[in-house]
Parts: sequence; C-alpha cells; structure tokens
Amino acid sequence: MKLHDTIDVLIGGYLSKEAAEEDYDAVRACGAHLQGAVVVSKDLEGNLAVEETDHMVREGAEGLGAVGFAVGLFAPPLLAATAIGAALGAGAGGLLHHKTAGKIGEQAGETIPIGGAGLIVAYSHSEAPKVEPAVNRAVQKAVGEAEGRHVEALKGALKEAQQKMAETES
Amino acid sequence: MSQPDRSKLPISRQPFKGVANRTLEGSEPDWDLIGHVDAPDGAPNVLVVLIDDAGFGNPATFGGPIATPNYTRLAEQGLRYNRFHVTALCSPTRAALLTGRNSHAVGFGSVGEFSTGFPGYTAFVPDDCVPFPRILRDNGYSTAAFGKWHLTPDGEQGPAGPFDRWPVGWGFDHFYGFLGGGSGQWDPCLTENQKIIGTPAGFAAEEDPYYLPDDMADKTIEWLHAIRGQDAKKPFFAYFSTGCSHAPHHVSEEWAAKYKGKFDQGWDELREETFSRQKQLGVIPADAELTPRDEAFPAWEDVPDKLKAYYARQMEVYAGYSENADHNAGRVIDAIEEMGELDNTLVLWIWGDNGASMEGTITGSFNELTMQNGIPLSDEMQLQLAERYGGVEAWGDQMMAPHYSAAWAWAGNTPFKWGKQVGSHLGGTRNPLVVHWPERVSEDGALREHFTHVIDVGPTILDVAGIPMPTHIDGIEQQPMHGATFADSLADGEAPEHHTQQYFETIGNRAMYKDGWWLSMRTARIPWVLTPDALKPYAPGAWNPDDDPTELYYLPDDFSQAIDLAAQHPEKVEELKELFWQEAERYDVLPLMAPLAGFFGMLPPLPDVATYSYRGGVQNVLSGMIPRIYNHSYSISAELMVPPGGAEGVIVAEADHLGGFSLWIDEGKLTHTYSMMGVFVFRQQAEEPLPEGEVTVRMEFAADSAKPATGGQVTLFANDRPIAGGRMEHTVPIRFSGYAGMDIGRDNGGVVDLSYENRKPFPFNGEIRKVDFDIKPLPTGEEKHELHKSVHHGHTAHALTA
Repeated sequence: MKLHDTIDVLIGGYLSKEAAEEDYDAVRACGAHLQGAVVVSKDLEGNLAVEETDHMVREGAEGLGAVGFAVGLFAPPLLAATAIGAALGAGAGGLLHHKTAGKIGEQAGETIPIGGAGLIVAYSHSEAPKVEPAVNRAVQKAVGEAEGRHVEALKGALKEAQQKMAETES
Repeated sequence: MSQPDRSKLPISRQPFKGVANRTLEGSEPDWDLIGHVDAPDGAPNVLVVLIDDAGFGNPATFGGPIATPNYTRLAEQGLRYNRFHVTALCSPTRAALLTGRNSHAVGFGSVGEFSTGFPGYTAFVPDDCVPFPRILRDNGYSTAAFGKWHLTPDGEQGPAGPFDRWPVGWGFDHFYGFLGGGSGQWDPCLTENQKIIGTPAGFAAEEDPYYLPDDMADKTIEWLHAIRGQDAKKPFFAYFSTGCSHAPHHVSEEWAAKYKGKFDQGWDELREETFSRQKQLGVIPADAELTPRDEAFPAWEDVPDKLKAYYARQMEVYAGYSENADHNAGRVIDAIEEMGELDNTLVLWIWGDNGASMEGTITGSFNELTMQNGIPLSDEMQLQLAERYGGVEAWGDQMMAPHYSAAWAWAGNTPFKWGKQVGSHLGGTRNPLVVHWPERVSEDGALREHFTHVIDVGPTILDVAGIPMPTHIDGIEQQPMHGATFADSLADGEAPEHHTQQYFETIGNRAMYKDGWWLSMRTARIPWVLTPDALKPYAPGAWNPDDDPTELYYLPDDFSQAIDLAAQHPEKVEELKELFWQEAERYDVLPLMAPLAGFFGMLPPLPDVATYSYRGGVQNVLSGMIPRIYNHSYSISAELMVPPGGAEGVIVAEADHLGGFSLWIDEGKLTHTYSMMGVFVFRQQAEEPLPEGEVTVRMEFAADSAKPATGGQVTLFANDRPIAGGRMEHTVPIRFSGYAGMDIGRDNGGVVDLSYENRKPFPFNGEIRKVDFDIKPLPTGEEKHELHKSVHHGHTAHALTA
C-alpha cells in the first residue's frame, strides 16, 4: 500500500448488534487490508459493548473529536425511513473519535442509542471494491475520503461521511 | 308453567294464580312465581367460536397449510359452509354477528375505537337493535363471552363506564377477555365483567408462562362446569372469541416449530398448494380458478435470498399460533362432550372475521404498532429490530409484538383476491363456517353451498331455540334482524337459499351481491397505506365513487371471482350499482369514507381537559384511556414521600418496552425512559439521589413544535430544581400500545425499561400521593387546530387497523 494513498472512512448505522457484527466480520474477512474497524453496540439495558481490530488508526484519531453530529431526524407526518439510519450513523461516526481518544465508555454512550450499533471502517481507497460490498446490512452507510492518514484528513473524511448521511435523510 | 309471552322483554311477571288470604288458612302458593324464565323446550346449548384475522385458505379443514384437527373433527361430523360471509373488518363483523343486523345499521361501519358523528359509524349500538345474547338471556339462557370483544368505544373503557356498551350490556352474564381489538397473548390486560383486572399472575414466568388462549379455554370450561353445577337444564350460549390469529402473533416455540421449513417455498407456491388441496377436499368447485397475484404483493422470487428465512419464519409463527387456537377451542368442545352435552350443542365455528390481515405491510413487523404509528421500516430494518429483541427465532415470544407480511395474508385468503379491509372482494369477506349439532345434522361431513352471512347467525340461533324475535325490549320497539335463518339447511342440503341479497362496505371498498351476481367496487387505496397522498383522491369533492372501476362476477359459476364479466353485462353493473346506493341509504352506510372523515377536516369537538390527576394506586388504565400526551409539550409531576434509605420503583408507567414511558427511580435517582415503539429508546437519569421525605418530582417535555412525533427536550426536576435532562429526537405520534395499560406506582405487565425487568412490577417503595399529567401549554389558534387534526388522524389510523 502506498504511504499517501487515499483513506476511506466508512460509517454504518444498525438497529441491532447482530447486524453490525455481521458486517464487521464481513469486512474483516473480505480480503482487504484495513486501517482499522470498530463495532460498538448498546444492549437493551443500556450497556455498551465494543469490538475493534488491532490496526486502529491511532495516530489519526485524536483530532476527530471536533466533528459535530447535528442531525435533524424527523420529517412529518411520517417518519422518514432513512432518518433512522442517519441517527445510528451519527452515533457510529462519533465512535471513531471516542474510541481512539480513550473515552469510549463515557462518550459513545451518548451517541449510540439503546439497542443500536455502529460500525466504522478505515481502509485504503483502493480497497473500496472489497470493503464496501461487504457492508450490506447497514441501515445507512456513508463514506468519506482523506488524503493520507493525517488527523485533519481523517477528520475531514469523517465529516464528509456524516454529511452524506445527513443528506440522504432529507 | 305455561309458556310466557316472549314477544316483549324482559318477560313480564306472571299473574299470581294462587290464593292469598289474610292468614295462611286457605291460602295456596303459586310456585311458578319463583324461579327464572325457562328457555323453550328443546332449546339447545349454543357455542359460537370466532377466529380472528384469518383467511379461507388458512385451516387444513378448508385446504390450508395449518393443522386444525378439531375444526376438521367437527366438520367431518357436521357441515362445512363454503359460502359464508363476513364484513372485512373486526368490529363490524362482531356487531353484525351479535345483533343479526347489518353492521352500519347498528353503528359499526368501522371499529369500536372510532366513533364519529354519522349514524352508521358511532360505535354505539342503538337501543332498538338489541343484540341477541340479551334476547337469549332474557329467555332463559346462561350467556358468557370469552376473549376478544372490540365493541366498546375507546373512551368508555374505564371504571366510569358507562357499561351498556361493555359485554354485560350486550346481554352476557359473564365476560372474561379484553375489550380492545387486539391483545398480547402473553401479557394481556384483561377485563372480567365490568372491571379491568390487569395482567394475570404468571405473566412472563420462566416455567410455564401465562398464555391467554390457554386461560380462555380454562375459564370457559370453568364457567360451563359452574353453571351446570347450579342448574342441570339451563341451556348456555358461549361466545368463544379468541384473539388468535390477530397480531401480535404470540405463541410458544413448541407450536411454531411444527412448521419449520413448511413455508420456505414462499407465498406464491403456498397459494397453489392450498388451491390444489381445496379441490381435492371438494371445499371449492372443481372448476374454480386460482386468482392471480396483484402487483401490490411482491413475487416470492423477488424477495432477496438473505431475507427469505425472515419472511418464512413469520408464517411459521402464524401457523403455530393458529393451530393453538384450534387446540384450545377443541379443549372447550372436549369439555362439553365430557359433560355429555355435545349432541345437544349447536356449534357454529367461523374461521376468521374479515379474511387474513394485511396490516403487517409488505415487510411484516416486529411490532405491529409501527405501522399504525406511521413508521415506515424496510424489511432489513424490521429484521434488525427483530434481532434486537431476540432474533427471528424469538418471533412470537414475549419480547415482540409481531405481524406477518401482507403477502402471507393474501396466501391465507386463497383462492380469493385481497383480504381484510377490502369489502369489495371475497378475500376480505368470505370465511369458512363449520356447523356441528348431532341432534339435528345427520349428513356427516357434508358441504353446504348456501350463500350465508354473519348476520344470519343470530336469526338461526333464535330459530333453533324456538325464541321469537321480540317486538319490544325495555319498552323500545325493535328493528327486525336483517339476517335470515339457515336452520333448515342444517338437515337438508336442498333447502332453499334465503339470503339472496347483501351489500358490503368497508372504508370505501364495497360490493353488491344479488342472486349470484357480485359487483365489486374497490378503491385504489392499498389497505396498509394511510399516507396523505394515498388518501387525497378520496377528499370531499375529489372522489366520485361511481367512477371507481367495477368488476362483475357470477359466483355460482365463478367461486373465486376470477372471471370479470363487467364488460359483457353493463346493464347488470348499473343495476347493482343502483341497488348498492339504495341499500347504503337504507342501512346507514352513507357517507362513504366516514371513518376517514377526520382526515378531511371533519373533526369531533376539541377536548377541553388538559390536566389529569391520579391518586392512590390506580392501575391498568387502558391504552386508549391515558392522557393524550402525544405530539406536544406536557409534564408529569408526582408528590412523593421518599422513605428513609431512599426511593426506588416506578412512579408511573404506560405500556411496555415496545412503546411506552416510565418515570421511575433507580437507586434513588429519578429516571425517565421513553420507548418510541421499540425503535428508539430514550433515557434520562439524575446523577444524584432524591432526598428523603416529601419530594415533588416532575418530568417536562418541551416539544420542538406541535407536530406529529415531534422531538423535544426532557428535563427532570426535584422540588422544582432541574436535576437531569436530554433530548428525544422522536416521540410516539399516535399510540403506544394496542392493549397494555398505565399504572401508578408500578409497571404491570411488560415493563418499559428492561433494566428493571427482573424487578417487575417494580412497585414504588415509598408513598405516591398524586400523579398529575398536564398537557398544557396547549398550542393555540391554527396550530391547535392542526394538531387536533393530526391527533385525530392518528387515532383514525389506529382504529382502522385494530
């Protein structure tokens, strides 16, 4: 892999832990080299569970906390189906920062809804044809791109993914 | 005793025929003065069994895939009626059944939850159309109803009644069941006679959990034994109206597992298999045709492979649930047989009240109320939510309230088109009837092809009991029943057909039957779609019903409505169209679409109550009776006495984890949990415990705006000091539950917050002096009107699908 290859950050939102873990397992088994992957879920009593790969992008994570996740979720008179995914995706996007900042227990609890789950995968753009099809159970997913693995670049990628998620809601 | 005059009820007291002197000397008692009215000699016992939300092609007795050995047993010793008709909706069929009259004419053009200001849609049965259980009771029968009722308006399902629209008011000595349109089978909120008694003990027990269908059968048998213990001769009328197979589809794995893999072929092949068996059995004519799939239902082959197991499981559970209904009805029949009275008991067993229900939408749902609350979820979302609550293998368990896909319902209505709510076609209007009465039926296992209708049941029962239709009841002149007895067909297959003409109408879908001809007039609206766009074409001024497409069938030659003859017989089309309008006027069907009037601005008066106070341990407030907190700001406050050592337990809780709210205290900390139909669960909790002694707590929800399902900010207070808060991005727009109740000081039945599941009902350990709901500040002006409209629309949507 090239040192300055474009890095994709994929976020996915789920209504169940099982679905998120299925995709998590699928991306790990898809044959792509992953920069990192994390799946976080909250059970029906509100307890958080985290699972991650060993190659998390530690150096890139610290600055991602500045990413905001303003999400407008509702379209009357009926709930927009995509809004559900957006809500979960927002939570997932938050996790990359929270996990790598070492505060996951404290902050992911605020972003992942009870009973929901989120998945984040970072990978070289050239691996996208393998990774993206493997994530096929996300209620909603979005991908952002970063030039290199620099903090600001990854931050931008995550923000881009968030924005795409929000756009599909409206 | 001489036969009394039964033409006026209650039967007048007999004149004294003895002698009453100043002393006993020479006096002669008249022993006929004491005791009760006897039924006519030879009046049989009567058992009516009604299965819920099931189709013609469901039971094996009529060729379906669901094992129904008890139904078949009775059919083989009795009669199958294969042209028996219902109304295409729950309450209307029940009202028609129990009054012997067309549903609109007794105020039940729609369901019990929805009363509107047109005579055919009040949900208030008129005093001049008294139901026949009252007639039987006043003529010497013991009467009882068990299970689903669905004939009491929402706003009257509480301790203040009034009770004349409860089962006892309809003439039942005894009632045990639920008042609404559907109920959890694991965790029902039950009513006995005139009291809401709540969720039975044993609910959710790990070993041998409570199960309503079992309990219903137990209670029915207990009642039969009790009345016979008191009176060896008094005939009984038992109405066994099981909530099966209405959603939520609840049944233990023992029953569902019987069908594992039996539906992997999908709904298209299932229809063909059922159709083939129906012909082999002879329950449909040899020349009948299988009607095609409407494009509203997807082809099974188009279902993604990864979701096929999810869909198949839905039908496995439904089938097991339905077989269990057969089993429990069979237990009641066994008990009557054991009592030695089956030969003298007329059993009328109707498999379904409106065809199978398509209200699960195409996806099916882990929680049937998601559709009613307007939450569109894809099948993948539904699958994930099912996984959240235990996985597809737990479909049917206590953690979910499932409903299967509309396509399975369509398959259950084989060989017909459509299903529930579609009064224009046989899928929603033709259900199996089995009649068993050894004393009268000698032609075991025969088929009857008479056109019959649910309004014929009452007249038939009165006929065989020898009881005349009274001219007056309580001094009020009675309208005649609209149905016709088919008693003569019990013994004589060649008996003439008496029911030769019948209108059908359900939410604008309508039909006119006369002498074999059936004119269908179906609206284009898909039954499970209630979006503004779907309703817009039916707005006042926009809809001319006579412009609706028509289909014409000649049923004697076309059992399944497969051959549309409208183009060949335009004169017949016009004749039946005109006849429909005449009948519609005669029976208060007009205005069409009255159940949807609220969607078009015809609203009931605005409520003038904004505060509700509950003192003491009020429990089991039925879901339709709770303060209407939906879609705007509100607060819940409680005056507490926190005991030494700190408070714990529930202050107030409505419904359960699949939709509801709870204000509760966890280790001294005030907590608010809100379940948006189990899709989103919000929780706010204070970090510090409440102080001991007198404390006033409050939960305030500040809505973003007065609109359906509005998000907003929650703030928790203790003694007016804010102690916690958080946002709720979505709230429930219409209704938390179809059946679960609200409780003060505990959380009966299924709990709202599963973190206190193992402490349920988690009673408050201190004293709750009062809980106040304040739904102020109500919006004002136009906003208030708009909100009122949306709330009413939601209420209507719930009612239509109950």
